[in-house]
Amino acid sequence: MMTYIVFILSTVFVVSFVSFSSKPSPIYGGFGLIVAGGIGCGIVLNFGGSFLGLMVFLIYLGGMLVVFGYTTAMATEPYPEAWTSNKAVLAMFITGVLAELLTACYILKEDEVEVVFKFNGAGDWVIYDTGDSGFFSEEAMGIAALYSYGTWLVVVTGWSLLIGVMVIMEVTRGN
Amino acid sequence: MNPPIFIIIMLTVISGTMIVVTTSHWLLVWIGFEMNLLAIIPILMKKYNPRAMEAATKYFLTQAAASMILMMWIIINLLHSGQWTVLKDLNPMASIMMTTALAMKLGLAPFHFWVPEVTQGISMSSGLILLTWQKIAPLSILYQISSTINPNLILTMSILSVMIGGWGGLNQTQLRKIMAYSSIAHMGWMTAIMMYSPTMMILNLTIYIIMTLTTFMLFMHNSTTTTASLSQTWNKTPLITSLILVLMMSLGGLPPLSGFIPKWMIIQELTKNELIMMPTLLAMTALLNLYFYMRLTYTTALTMFPSNNSMKMKWRFECTKKMTFLPPLVVMSTMLLPLAPMLSILD
Repeated sequence: MMTYIVFILSTVFVVSFVSFSSKPSPIYGGFGLIVAGGIGCGIVLNFGGSFLGLMVFLIYLGGMLVVFGYTTAMATEPYPEAWTSNKAVLAMFITGVLAELLTACYILKEDEVEVVFKFNGAGDWVIYDTGDSGFFSEEAMGIAALYSYGTWLVVVTGWSLLIGVMVIMEVTRGN
Repeated sequence: MNPPIFIIIMLTVISGTMIVVTTSHWLLVWIGFEMNLLAIIPILMKKYNPRAMEAATKYFLTQAAASMILMMWIIINLLHSGQWTVLKDLNPMASIMMTTALAMKLGLAPFHFWVPEVTQGISMSSGLILLTWQKIAPLSILYQISSTINPNLILTMSILSVMIGGWGGLNQTQLRKIMAYSSIAHMGWMTAIMMYSPTMMILNLTIYIIMTLTTFMLFMHNSTTTTASLSQTWNKTPLITSLILVLMMSLGGLPPLSGFIPKWMIIQELTKNELIMMPTLLAMTALLNLYFYMRLTYTTALTMFPSNNSMKMKWRFECTKKMTFLPPLVVMSTMLLPLAPMLSILD
């Protein structure tokens, strides 16, 4: 199973995205996001990005999603829509899961699949390697480069985050 | 909006576009587009009515979807070429999908449906920024990838845009929707020439921005949003009446006004590249545009609609809107044709 772990995680990732894209009530959508975040962390970990995967848990799940959960809790409705309470949501969910299952079966059956790029079945994820990275972890070197050579990128992203907050406050001002 | 907040948000809109225009890294292109989108949402929602909120939501959804498509194909291009530089040759499939994503951002047919609805729902000054400044960033990226664009795709989209811009604007009386369809048609002209001579696209963009800026400023000066209230301009500011006449003729692309320069150059470049049917179709469907500009001219300057006596006293009140830079803009949008021989410096 460990040879196919990335493939399995990717399939469950898509299913959790389907679970909130079928638009249940935000509380249940938040649950789908938590699962998706955890699985995304797992996928990143499998490619050697240990720091960034744990950052997903810490900042994304532990920071942003907690805030989202609290705001959703403040805005609850008396009868939240789960996946089976509304036929439309259930139909969308089943469509999404069916599409993903059919894609997964197609990938597993055929040896070589070319959708956008060629990849040789599920085993291709095992030896996915774009080159010799030497003794240093590429991910740690990337983060180091962000804070040394990539100062402009830090400035731009920091400014965008600040503007995000200000835009949200302007949009929800409402007078 | 609170003035310091407004300044910061406008700065972010401007710097988002500047980042897209000046960067050579695909990730920064995407970041610039998202900064621009995020910061322009409160500008679109300046008035807090449901119409403006709906328009801002529609704009956000289409532009965010286009950015996502662009990001996906940036990553797939990275997978195939191994590098992030903007100017290098793109994977053909990535080029097609990036062109589609940028067409969604520009409002080219068949992705034009958001343009009239969003432009109508927002205030005149926000519509001005939407139809002029927001076109610069996607067109700059199309300029940079212009050598690898699939001709079938871009020429289909451009001829469809000119047709839809023409036919769509025919039944409109609201000025913002007319300007939206005018924008769709002009984007069609710009993307038609993109593959053969990107410099002409920049020329068309410049002259289009000057003309649209002037048109919006004249409409804002009178505070008119419909053709009916535009027909009372002879009461309020008779000078603007004549200016609208000349400006509409320039937008329609009639010589001897500056709106003719881009159309002339584009038709010339297209025929030099041995395309005959294409410029013919473009020129003929541009006549539809000219028809509704002429209708605006007719109601504004050439006819006096019946009105009651109280409407005839509006000239007694001085207009207090400060339209800075309007006279030079009017001159630039109508009198640039004698300078067209300067384009020979491009050879």
